[in-house]
Amino acid sequence: MKYTTFNQQNSDVMAEPMFFGNPVNVARYDQQKHAIFEKLIEKQISFFWRPEEVDVSKDRSDFQGLSDAEKHIFISNLKYQTLLDSIQGRSPNIAFLPIVSLPELETWIETWSFYETIHSRSYTHILRNLFTDPSAIFDDIVENEEIKRRAADISKYYDDLIFATQLWQTQGEGTHVIDGETHVVTMRELKKKMYLCMNSVNALEAIRFYVSFACTFAFAERELMEGNSKIIRLIARDENLHLSSTQHILNLWAKGKDDPEMAEIAKECEAEARAIFLNAVQQEKEWAAFLFANGSMIGLNEDILCQYVEYIANQRMSAIGLGQPFDIASNPLPWMNNYLSSDNVQVAPQESEISSYLVGQIDSEVSEDEFDAFEL
Amino acid sequence: MSETKQIRSISIANGPSFLSTPDNTLLADLEAQGIPIEYHCREGYCGACRCKLISGEVDYTVDPLAFIDDDEILPCCTVALTDVVLEI
Repeated sequence: MKYTTFNQQNSDVMAEPMFFGNPVNVARYDQQKHAIFEKLIEKQISFFWRPEEVDVSKDRSDFQGLSDAEKHIFISNLKYQTLLDSIQGRSPNIAFLPIVSLPELETWIETWSFYETIHSRSYTHILRNLFTDPSAIFDDIVENEEIKRRAADISKYYDDLIFATQLWQTQGEGTHVIDGETHVVTMRELKKKMYLCMNSVNALEAIRFYVSFACTFAFAERELMEGNSKIIRLIARDENLHLSSTQHILNLWAKGKDDPEMAEIAKECEAEARAIFLNAVQQEKEWAAFLFANGSMIGLNEDILCQYVEYIANQRMSAIGLGQPFDIASNPLPWMNNYLSSDNVQVAPQESEISSYLVGQIDSEVSEDEFDAFEL
Repeated sequence: MSETKQIRSISIANGPSFLSTPDNTLLADLEAQGIPIEYHCREGYCGACRCKLISGEVDYTVDPLAFIDDDEILPCCTVALTDVVLEI
C-alpha cells in the first residue's frame, strides 16, 4: 500500500490497529484508541531539558585526575551511549512512522525520537568540555569493533523492517527480486518483522542503556564527573519513559488488545523475542568485559556489572511476560535507584543540586580555595 | 481522599504484615518496614516497583503511565483503600 502523507479516505481511528492499518490523516487527539500514548507525550514534554543548562565544566579537571583504566571506561561508555542515541534519534521515525495508524501513537514516536536527539546533542556538549577537539572520539565509534558489533545487532531489526516496508509500499505484497535477491513480502511477514523489531528496541531501552548508566553513576558515587552524571540522570529519566512505551506496545499486542494477528505472532515468535533479549544481555556482559579490560574502578567491576545486567534483565523480561531467567534475587547496585528516581518525589542524597531547580541558573564558581578552611 | 487517612493492614503473601501510615504511599510504607522492593522513578512511569495485588483495593495518587497488568499495582503511587495483600 502506497504511503500517503494525508490519507483522503475517512477511516475510523478507533477501529485501526497501532500499525499496518490506514495511514494517519488528521492529527487529532479527541478520540484515542490507546490513550496511554498521549499521556506519555505529556509526561515526556514536561521533562523538557537542554544539555547546555547543565554545567559540566568541573568534569574537565575530574577527568584529568582519572586513571587510564578509568578514562577508558568513561570514554568507551560515552561512545556507546552516543551510538545508541544516534540510532534511536532516527530509527523509530524512519521505521515506525510509515506504518503507524493511530495519531496519538504517531505523535508519541515523533516525541520519543526528538528526545533521543537531545541526548545525542548532550554527548557532544560533554565531550566538547573534556577535549579541545573531540572528533577522534566520534570517529572511533564507526571504527571500534566492540561498538560496531553492537551497532550491527541493534540496527539489523530496524533495517529489515524498513526495507520490507519500502518493498511493500512500492511493490505491494508478492515475491520481488531486487539485485538478484528474492524477497517475499506478505502482511504476515511484515508484522513479524515489526514484532521482532519492537522487541529489539525494547531490549535496547531496557538493558543496553543501563550498563552505561551504571558506569556513569559509579563515577558520581565517588563525586567525580558530576556534570556528566546530571545529564545522564536526565537521559535515564527519558529512557524510562521510552521503555514504558515499548512495554505497552508489546503487551497490547500480546494481550490481544490491538491487532489480533499480532497476538498470534507474539505467541508464535516468543522464543525469538526471548533470544533477542538474552542476546542483548550476553552482549552487554561482553561490553562490561571490554570496559574493565584495563582495570576496574572503585565501586564497580566486571562481575558486579554482569550481575546488574542479569538483575535488570529479570525485571524487564517479566514486564513483558518472558519470565525471570536469571537466578539473582537482589540488586547488586542498590545506589543505582537513587539516580533513577524522579526529582519531585525524592532527591537523591548523592545529588549536589536538584536538577529541576537548575534550569538556567547554574553555579559554576567553585574553586579549590573554598576548601582551604576545611580540615579532616 | 478521606479513605487514604485510614490505617489499613498491609500483608505480604508468605511474608510479614504491618499497618499503613497516613499520607504515605505503599512503597514508602514497605521501605519503612525494611521490605526489599525495587523502584526507579517513584512517580508511576517506569514500572520498576510493579507487584501483584492478591486482595484488597488501592487508589492511585497519580495517573500511572507504566504498563501494569490487571492484577498488578505500582506501590510508588498507590495508597490502600482497604486491607490489602501483596505479592512481591
